[in-house]
Amino acid sequence: MVLEKDIFKEFEDIVGLGNIDDNEVITNVYAYNWCMEIFNYMEGKEPIPFSNVPKAVILPSTTEEVQKIVILCNKYEIVFKAQSTGLGPWNQPSVDNSIILDLRRMNRIIKIDEKNLYAVIEPYVSGAQLQSEIMKNGLNCHMPGAGPQVSPLASATSMNGPGFTSPSTGYSARNVLAVEWVLPNGEILSLGSSGLKSNPDWFHGDGPGPSLRGIMRGWAGTKSGLGIFTKVAVKLFPYPCSTEFNVKGSSANYDFNIPDFMKLYVMDCGNFKKLENVMLNVEEEEISFMCSYLSSFAVMAIFSNSIESLMDKISLGQLKAPLVVLIAARTEQEFGYKQKVMDFVLKKFKIKNIIGEIYTPNPIFFAEALRSNLGLHGFIATGGFQSSKGVADTAAVCLRSTKSNILVKQEFIKKGVIANDFGEGTWMTSYESGHYFHMESPTMFDQTKVSSVKGMAEYMEKSNQLDLLKHLGAPFFVEGTRMHELFGPYMSNYHIWLRKIKETFDPNNISDSGFYISPQNKQN
Amino acid sequence: MIKRCLRCSICKWIPQLQIKSQKYASICPSIDIFNFHAYSGGGRIIIALALEMGRLKPSQELMDIVYKCTECGGCAIACKFLNTLEPLEIIIKLREKLVSLGYGPMPKQQQYIEYIKSKNNPYNEAHEKRLDWLPNDIKIDSNAKVLYFVGCTSSYRRKEIAVATARVMNAANYPFKILGENEYCCGSPILRTGDKSSFITQLNKNLDIIEKEGIKTVVFSCAGCYNTFKVDYALERDYNFEIIHTTELFNELLDSGKFKLTNKVPLTVTYHDPCHLGRNSEPYEEWDGDTLEMMPLISLNIPEKPKRCGKYGIYESPRALLNKIPGLSLAEMERIKEYSYCCGAGGGVKSAFPEFALETAKIRIEEAEDTGAEVITSACPFCSTNLKDGISKRGSNLKFYDISEILLMAIGSPKRSFKETSMRAI
Repeated sequence: MVLEKDIFKEFEDIVGLGNIDDNEVITNVYAYNWCMEIFNYMEGKEPIPFSNVPKAVILPSTTEEVQKIVILCNKYEIVFKAQSTGLGPWNQPSVDNSIILDLRRMNRIIKIDEKNLYAVIEPYVSGAQLQSEIMKNGLNCHMPGAGPQVSPLASATSMNGPGFTSPSTGYSARNVLAVEWVLPNGEILSLGSSGLKSNPDWFHGDGPGPSLRGIMRGWAGTKSGLGIFTKVAVKLFPYPCSTEFNVKGSSANYDFNIPDFMKLYVMDCGNFKKLENVMLNVEEEEISFMCSYLSSFAVMAIFSNSIESLMDKISLGQLKAPLVVLIAARTEQEFGYKQKVMDFVLKKFKIKNIIGEIYTPNPIFFAEALRSNLGLHGFIATGGFQSSKGVADTAAVCLRSTKSNILVKQEFIKKGVIANDFGEGTWMTSYESGHYFHMESPTMFDQTKVSSVKGMAEYMEKSNQLDLLKHLGAPFFVEGTRMHELFGPYMSNYHIWLRKIKETFDPNNISDSGFYISPQNKQN
Repeated sequence: MIKRCLRCSICKWIPQLQIKSQKYASICPSIDIFNFHAYSGGGRIIIALALEMGRLKPSQELMDIVYKCTECGGCAIACKFLNTLEPLEIIIKLREKLVSLGYGPMPKQQQYIEYIKSKNNPYNEAHEKRLDWLPNDIKIDSNAKVLYFVGCTSSYRRKEIAVATARVMNAANYPFKILGENEYCCGSPILRTGDKSSFITQLNKNLDIIEKEGIKTVVFSCAGCYNTFKVDYALERDYNFEIIHTTELFNELLDSGKFKLTNKVPLTVTYHDPCHLGRNSEPYEEWDGDTLEMMPLISLNIPEKPKRCGKYGIYESPRALLNKIPGLSLAEMERIKEYSYCCGAGGGVKSAFPEFALETAKIRIEEAEDTGAEVITSACPFCSTNLKDGISKRGSNLKFYDISEILLMAIGSPKRSFKETSMRAI
């Protein structure tokens, strides 16, 4: 299916020749994504990595072009799906009668406000790009666990966005300030202080009036189900240490000059209760740049760049409830203080730092930590990886969720359809110095084996349902009408309110609701 | 392997840990110019998969996308930092498949392949004019066991590189011979289009004559020829001579005192790593191990399979040469060595899509300008042609000299100034 010629021409007139394409080669490429095979299977379709094929792909370069495209989509009742750097099934259209807006040409850093600690960016600025520019001002940004190659705008407006540096840089949903938002009907809404009549600026995301941030993204974002975000201001933070970032040598075995005031701790807490106490104590002291619980298998993975080098680290595989803490400082005094606090914690809980004793990581680990590249190590073992569950709550609830998942995971490990991480494959991080915590359950599968894809899908469903049965909160991968209707009745009937928002903003369901919720009157 | 793309877009950037600015973060000329994801390394993996699954059939549009790639391999370097995918090799195989199905190469490429078959060069020049570059005063030693393989581009289009190379070897009293009319196109321009059988013909012609001449060492000033002999020939047929690029040879000759650099060359110079001399000149390491399933879904290669990440490309010798030149200051671009940005000419792009090649060259020239250099140098005649075109199109004040030309400026007699030397017909 392609666009009618006249309609294609109208779109082309907006973006110019060469910036829209409806050829099947282009549209099929945009129908592919990582983990699409799982979501297809969950929806009762063939487990292949291709989604519905869009009728065309269009490349706008300005907000005005995006607005015109959206208005045209409304006129012809064509569903639109927007994407930035494009990682993950959430970027995929859920219907045939759709076009994809690839926001790649919208790649400007509009403003870096060094004094007020925020940057205004467009959709296709990647995390690494933003960080490389703000480092010149001694600043840092939050990047999600998905890696430095993804869009901070997409994460801030449309996803959850926890990351390895969340103890010190929060998470994407919390870092979003003012937003430029093209609503599903084409109206442009300037959210927060960017909408002020006099002296509009980007420093704040709310008011006056009721907060619209919750409507814009809420807990998990709308994944292009409620319009398109064309500019966003994100919070910036002081860079945690010296900004000298000297990566030497050659790929894939780079070397790195570790900044003077950085130290890594990996501690074997022995059990989850002790882990909780140690983690709370470390975070109460507000000293960590990174503070994560990882399964022992995941600890092996973050220090490896191949499955073979991962298997060399068997000594790390013996860890029970390991806690990974990275401290960083800008001065010797600050560093000394943080080390003293860690010494105190180690002594108090009678635990040891194995770094430098049992294991010494390659210096490049520190570069990857600073650039938020560690999440990508999840793909090393099997090539396929996805998370289920997902809790933002107290450390205790996160760990309860972790423990509850072990038996379910082991059931599928025994079937041989997901890889063996002893069932403990969970990542848990503090948010904002222990203000609260995040947990999700990354799981390794093999996307080239149908049995593994199906097994992974079944595992994810069962793992997510645990959160209902055990009252552990809403997993963040509850997406789409079917899942919201499943979870909603157990959770304040939130799905009814979510649907009311969708109906109000997008009654004709033009903004693809495949990973959001469809209005009742017009199912996708 | 084609089922494993994560669609993460890492293939569009230089390795994430090497990004130093927003402006020079990208690695792929194709996605930079054409923007649609299909034009990235990952996009082409998806095309390969879609063809395999029967979702797509070969078409003009598909050809266009597959061939609008310089095969620079930047995508593969970025991807393989953590992954084991081989985007470049998938693109090469994709082209071979299209040729086998009666589609590729592109018409302009097909034309130059015919020229190579009939005239031994892709430029449709007379074979007997292959020696036209050679001035009378250059000493050739017909008994030498060292061969200077000049290559088509230096023989016909960038003669100044062949001349400078020969003069430097003469200055070092390093005896060499040339094949003259017995030298044939190395086949690189054919191989990159996916026409492997025609490539094998060229390979055999060259190896047969070189072996017949009893050559011990072959010297290359062309990165493309060097890469083709070192990497691609070696995959198809064993040979028993040593190969060396001029940047390596000249360093050795300098270090052993065979010639001296006496002239000051007061220039700020930036060096462009040719893809064929840099990341893509890394040979394939033989791996004769076993794959063991450690546990369900997790397999190990024992010993670990080497990743071809460009580590063993030629990066240091050209830089060492430049640093030895009195008065010369080397200013590095942001994208260098294994994550260097392509000049835009490779993979058959210069002939099939000249505008694409030119736009890419302009991007690279802008990066060179940003270093503050007055001169951009390289070690590949094909890069030379495209970067010169880029300078001209962009209206840049930069000058391009091949590294051998700069070396020759520094060799000139002490009484002769840099200016006179550089103006001389080198």
